[in-house]
Amino acid sequence: MDRRKFLGLGLAAAALVPATTLNAIDFRDTKPDTWKAVSTADAIKGLYGDITPLEEGVNVKAPKLAENGGAIPVKIKSDIQAKSVALFQDANPRSAVAVFTVSEGQPIDYTLKIKMRKTGKITVIVEGTNGKFYSKVLPIEVSIGGCGG
Amino acid sequence: MKVKAKLKGDVVKVKVLAEHVNAGPEEAEKKKIEPNFIKSVIAKANGKVVFEVSGSGFISKNPQFTFTFKGAKKGDEVEVTWTDIKGNTKSKKKAIK
Repeated sequence: MDRRKFLGLGLAAAALVPATTLNAIDFRDTKPDTWKAVSTADAIKGLYGDITPLEEGVNVKAPKLAENGGAIPVKIKSDIQAKSVALFQDANPRSAVAVFTVSEGQPIDYTLKIKMRKTGKITVIVEGTNGKFYSKVLPIEVSIGGCGG
Repeated sequence: MKVKAKLKGDVVKVKVLAEHVNAGPEEAEKKKIEPNFIKSVIAKANGKVVFEVSGSGFISKNPQFTFTFKGAKKGDEVEVTWTDIKGNTKSKKKAIK
């Protein structure tokens, strides 16, 4: 698929998505471009559009050096009242790893284990209920790649 | 699937372990298996969605999640459901300790 068509589909998809956040959003169905994007920048664009997140308010913990790239523990915490939280990395064939929908008033306190086939950076974006975006970027050194790397 | 839910103060901490190959296309090709991964996990308590994530093949094999939520007490049930890209789904209910 050429880039123009790809972006066009993104716009069409964005137009179909209702503005209000309802429960049970399947981001794989509603934002397909996010999951196809190779670069973190394109994945973020596919999910949230053109945003300039503030580099504050998001606490992300992961090992500096991960021996096993197949299961790297990542902890995401924030006090921001949020709508969604998205996790990306730039070490795998595509960037998007997971998108959490934050139910109204619920805290952001997640852990999960992710795969990275080589050394790279993870990026976490928090979408606040105030319409602002917040981000945290964290480098992770991987000695043995996961994801069949 | 394993689910543990424990109340501490006014916050319930939930641990989820889903048994799943969770392999994206590149990894599946290398392992000579069909690509399949968990595309969504939803947790409900007292009729409300309290946790929800859309996933990918870049979450580890046998995905593990922890999350916290407010608005439940001891003995209430948490129900966790996952769905993979082939449409398989699994649910588990667990009482909060």
